[in-house]
Amino acid sequence: MAEYLISDEVAKTIESRGLKVDDIKKVIEAAEAAKDKITNGSKCIAKKTLGDVVVYADYSAEGGKIRINSGYAHKMKLQDIVMDTADTEWKYVKTGAKIRKGHTNLSYMGATRSAPSLVDPASGESWIEEYLAAKTLAVAEMLFSQKRA
Amino acid sequence: MGYEELFPKNDLSGWHANAAKRFASPFVDNFHDRIDVDPIILSNAAVNCGFTIRDFYEKPELGIHCVGYISELYDLLPVTHWFFSLPWVRDLGMTLEYKDTLPPIPTGPILDANGVEKMQPISKADLLTGSTVPLFYDLYGYVQQNLGHTLVPISYGFDLVGAAAEMIGVEEFIMWTFTETDLAHKLVDTYVETSINGAEAMADKFGFAMLIVGSVLANNDIFADEQVEEFSAKKMGYYVDQCFRRGAGPQVFYHLCGNHETDYKVFKKNLLWSPFNVLHIGYQGPKVFPSDLLKKEFQDVTTLMGSVDTKLMINPNPAKVYDQAKESLLAGRDAKKGFILGTSCETPPYTIPGNLLALTRAARDFGTYGTW
Repeated sequence: MAEYLISDEVAKTIESRGLKVDDIKKVIEAAEAAKDKITNGSKCIAKKTLGDVVVYADYSAEGGKIRINSGYAHKMKLQDIVMDTADTEWKYVKTGAKIRKGHTNLSYMGATRSAPSLVDPASGESWIEEYLAAKTLAVAEMLFSQKRA
Repeated sequence: MGYEELFPKNDLSGWHANAAKRFASPFVDNFHDRIDVDPIILSNAAVNCGFTIRDFYEKPELGIHCVGYISELYDLLPVTHWFFSLPWVRDLGMTLEYKDTLPPIPTGPILDANGVEKMQPISKADLLTGSTVPLFYDLYGYVQQNLGHTLVPISYGFDLVGAAAEMIGVEEFIMWTFTETDLAHKLVDTYVETSINGAEAMADKFGFAMLIVGSVLANNDIFADEQVEEFSAKKMGYYVDQCFRRGAGPQVFYHLCGNHETDYKVFKKNLLWSPFNVLHIGYQGPKVFPSDLLKKEFQDVTTLMGSVDTKLMINPNPAKVYDQAKESLLAGRDAKKGFILGTSCETPPYTIPGNLLALTRAARDFGTYGTW
């Protein structure tokens, strides 16, 4: 069982997003077991679908423990990669593939629209960065709900 | 007396309720009524209400109320906008002069190379007490109070290259892109960073802020594709990315005005495509940008806006407008992420009412969901 480090501020932010710190730990445990995560050398991002949301953990190793840097989520479901445009500093640990900047289709409430993402074209996997999930997609989900009403 | 006392209320339960459902259609696949029509109505709304072009720009609250009111007449969008092409330049030191027949024009001071070297982006704190942010805070405060049903807070980067170029003179800027490339980049980058700070200020106030950003000066009449990519497309992508990071978006209207004959190819990979964006391209050479090409190239990433030539809008021949609108609708209406019928740029101030009717008539005849 890994030992976790998390600041009060990060825990508060995670909770303000309707998530529990335990959710983030679940994401990390699954990612570590399957090496299913991306890393830029100093930190990792992992994702896992919990219920109706895709939950992300942003974390790093710190003296044999795991430091949780952030946790976030989006309700829109990840679909296919629309395009990839440039290399990034990120690597997919599971396959060693270089992660690229791109766009991924996301579906929500019956509609499919694209959003910027980190992608691995070979595996078809996509990851959404925190600023997009917590800001851009959060507002988009709210607008979808309003406009579908 | 406030401007709100000059206008009867919109028909909220009839026209506006239906227009709002229709407006949502292309973004959420909840198809309602017909393809929407957006002739980018600005000072034409003021003229239609008996005011002047100058009134529209000099009295933003009056101008935006005209847009909200007159949209009902032509069954256009249920949301309001008000803008001119040079936001943020006053904050960067330029003065603007209001004119009777034009949007405000810059009157200097024109910077030299030394001035550009010293330029710094204007911080958010300074923008809050500058010209543009207070103008839009006041404007959207008015809309919240008097036209709340039409409110979409918008932050305008608008023409990142063109607005920056005004600060040294457009001809000089074009030369600099060849002879003083680094300085030309610095000039545009300073304008871009200032616009990003402004978008953050708008998002702070309203919770989010739609972004309108375009490539107007940077088009194929003036620049090669490579220059359009370096000076415009990449910076537009950067602008939107940074605005998203600061809480603005997620709605983005990309407006590629002018001739984008071949440079349209550099935009797809450089722009950021959010779940709520619209792409509009005015012309390919001397002709309106074809909706079938727009669809082929961009339908997998964005809602599209097709074009009817703005020149036709002041030509006393509504049938020509109708025919070109029909052509655009037939080519674009089944785009995967939705389609809107527009004009190739702002509809001219003295647009003939019969031509605006021709747009909506064509949308009813060829854009009604479930009939194709």
